[in-house]
Amino acid sequence: MTSHETRAAQIFLSHHDFVKGVALKYAPWPGLMEDISQQVFLEFIRKEDRWELEKDLRPLLATMTRHVAMRLWRERTREKPEVVQKLAEHIRQLAEEQDVQPRYETEVVILRDCLQKLPEKSRELVQLYYYHDVGTPEIAGQMEMKADTVCRALSRVRDKLRECIQRQIQKGGDAAYA
Amino acid sequence: MREEAHDPEVLLQHYLEDSLTEAEASALLELLQRDPSLSARLMDQLHLDAMLRSEGASPMQQTAPVSLSDETRILSPVTSKKTRWLPMTTVAALAACVTLAGTWLFNLTNDAEETTSAVAVLMRGVDAQWEGRAPQVGTPLTPGMLRLKSGLAQIEFYQGARVTLEGPASFELISVSEARCTSGKLSAHVPPQAKGFRIQTPKGTVVDLGTDFGLDMNSPEAQVHVFKGEVELHPDGAKMQPLKEGEAALFSDTVQRREADQSAFASLGDMDERTAESQRVSFEQWLQSSTQWDADPALLLRLNFQDPSHTRVLRNHALKAEKVPAGSIVGCQWTEGRWAGKRALEFRNISDRVRLSIPGDHEALTLSTWVRIHGLDRAYNSLFMVEGYKDGAVHWQITRTGELRLGIAGRNGHGSKDHDTPAIFTPERFGQWLHLATCLDPVANEVRHYVNGELMARVPRNAKFPVHMPVAELGNWNDGRRGGSVAIRHLSGVMDEFMLFNRVLSEAEIAKLAH
Repeated sequence: MTSHETRAAQIFLSHHDFVKGVALKYAPWPGLMEDISQQVFLEFIRKEDRWELEKDLRPLLATMTRHVAMRLWRERTREKPEVVQKLAEHIRQLAEEQDVQPRYETEVVILRDCLQKLPEKSRELVQLYYYHDVGTPEIAGQMEMKADTVCRALSRVRDKLRECIQRQIQKGGDAAYA
Repeated sequence: MREEAHDPEVLLQHYLEDSLTEAEASALLELLQRDPSLSARLMDQLHLDAMLRSEGASPMQQTAPVSLSDETRILSPVTSKKTRWLPMTTVAALAACVTLAGTWLFNLTNDAEETTSAVAVLMRGVDAQWEGRAPQVGTPLTPGMLRLKSGLAQIEFYQGARVTLEGPASFELISVSEARCTSGKLSAHVPPQAKGFRIQTPKGTVVDLGTDFGLDMNSPEAQVHVFKGEVELHPDGAKMQPLKEGEAALFSDTVQRREADQSAFASLGDMDERTAESQRVSFEQWLQSSTQWDADPALLLRLNFQDPSHTRVLRNHALKAEKVPAGSIVGCQWTEGRWAGKRALEFRNISDRVRLSIPGDHEALTLSTWVRIHGLDRAYNSLFMVEGYKDGAVHWQITRTGELRLGIAGRNGHGSKDHDTPAIFTPERFGQWLHLATCLDPVANEVRHYVNGELMARVPRNAKFPVHMPVAELGNWNDGRRGGSVAIRHLSGVMDEFMLFNRVLSEAEIAKLAH
C-alpha cells in the first residue's frame, strides 16, 4: 500500500459526510445514500493516482457522487412497480428543486447532540429501530401497540429532531462545528 | 397481511422502510402533489432517516440501554430493510488495509453480496517470519507483495497452482494465475487445471504447462529446474525456449541448460515433515504451559478438549475450582484442533452445545478461547452464553455483522449493555484459528476485547455490578424457559480450548495465551 493511497483514503474519510449530503440530494431513496458513498469511495481509491490530493477535492467528489447517485437511483427504482417509479421520480425532482447546498454535513454533527435531548421513550424508540434494527411490526408487538402507532411515533421523533437541529443552527450551534 | 395506510405519517414511514404497496405509493404521490408542506416534510424525514441510519450503524454511538429485553431482539429477527454498514469512522485503521477496502470496508449485511479480491490462500507456514504484518495460516491473500524473511510458506492460488516459498524471498501476487518473484527460492506444483500459471522474474517469465518446477532467484542468474512436465522460458528480449523434465536452465542474458536438481528445493515432503515437527513443538509447548494455567487460583474453568470421545463430558482442569463441574456435551462432534493430535469440538447444528455451570457472583472476568469460525450464520453467534438474560448474565458472542460482543444483562436496577468491538470478523477471517479474549475490568469499569492477543476495543460499562453464570452454554444459548420456541444462536465453527478466570488477565498474559 502506498502513502498516496493512504492519504487518499484519509482525505475521503474527511469528506465522507459531504459525499453523503450530495448523494442524498441526487438520489433521495431510503437506504441508498450509504451504497452511493461506498461506490464513490471505491471509485475514488481505484483511481487515486490521478488525483492531486493537495487541491480541494470537493468539486471532484461532488461530480463523482452525482454520477454514481443517478446511476444507482435508476438501478434501484427501475424494477419497482410503475406507480412507485412515478413517486420516486417526483421525490427526486423535489430534492433537485431544493435550491440549497447539501446540509447533511452540518446537521449530522448537531443530530448527535439532539439525540441526547430526546425524551427517554423517544430515544428508546430510535435505538430500537435504528441501532438495534428492530422493525416497526416487531416494536409494535413488544410494546403492545398498533404498527401504525409506531410509524407515527417514529415520524414525530424525526420531526422533533428536525426542530432541534434547526433551533441549534439558528442559535449558531453549527458554528462550533465549522 | 397489513392494511393499506392512508395516514400521511404512516405513509412516510412506509416510504422510508421501502415497504409501500402500490396503493400506498399512489396515495402518497397524490398527497405530495396536493400538499407542498408534506413534500417539505418528506424531504426532512428522508434526511433525518439517512442520518439516523448512519449513526445507528455505529455501535459505539449508543448512549443508553434499551429497556426491551435482549430476548425481544431475538424474537424479532433482523429482517429490516435497513442496510447496515460499518461506519467509516470505526475503520480508522483504514490506512493499514486500504487495499482490502473494496471487499470489506463497508460490510453490507443486506441486499449486496460480499466480494473478495483475494487470489490465493496461505495454506501452511513452517517457522515463517514475515516482514511487516504476518499473514496467518488460512488467510486469503490479495494481490500485493509478500516478504518472507525466513522459514517456509505454502501458497495455493485460486486457479490451483501451489507454490512453496523458501525465505528469504520477495514474492508478489498478481492474479489467480500469476506471480512475480524477485528474490528467494520456490517450488511450484501446477495441476492441469492451472496450466498457464506464470511467474515473472526480473530476467523473464516462466510459463508452466502443467508440471512441477523450481525457481531459484538467489544467484545473479535465475535458475529454473523442471522436475516433471514442461515449462516455457520467456527471457526478456529473447525467443521463448521450452524446458523439459529433468532439465534446468540459467536464465540470464542467454539460457544455459544443465541437469535439474530437485534436492535443492524444499519439496512437499519436506514441508509435511517440517510442518509436523513445528506442530509437535507447538503442541508440546501448549501442554507445558497448560499445567501452569491450571494452577492459577483465579481460574474457574479450563476445558482443553482432550477428553475421550465416549465420555461426552469436558473435564474442568482448573485445580482450584472444585465447585465448577465438567461440561456436558450435547450434539457436537469431535474433530481436529489447532495441531495434529489436538482435539476440538465442532458446533454445526442447532442442537450442538456444551452445558456448563459456574456458581457465584464475579466482579472481574476474563474469557479466553481458541476458535475457528466457519461463518456468521445467525444474528447472534454464541461463544459462551448464560441461560436467559437477566441479573448480570453474560453473553459472549459474535454478531452477524462481525462484532465481538460481551452483553451484560442489567442488575440491581441498572440496565443491560452490549460491549462491542467494531466489525472484525470479515469473511477473510473465516476458517482461521483465532484466539479471542475478553476482560471485564471492575477497576477501569470497562470491557476489553482482544483478538490474537491484540487489543481491539475497550468499552466503558454503564454501571458496576457483579456478573453471574449459574448455567451457561458454549456455542449455543437457551432462554431458560422450559417450553416454547427458542431463538437460534448456535455457533458455526470449531473450538479447542476455553478458559474462564475471575480476575483480569494482563495484556502479557493474554498475548501468552494467544501464541
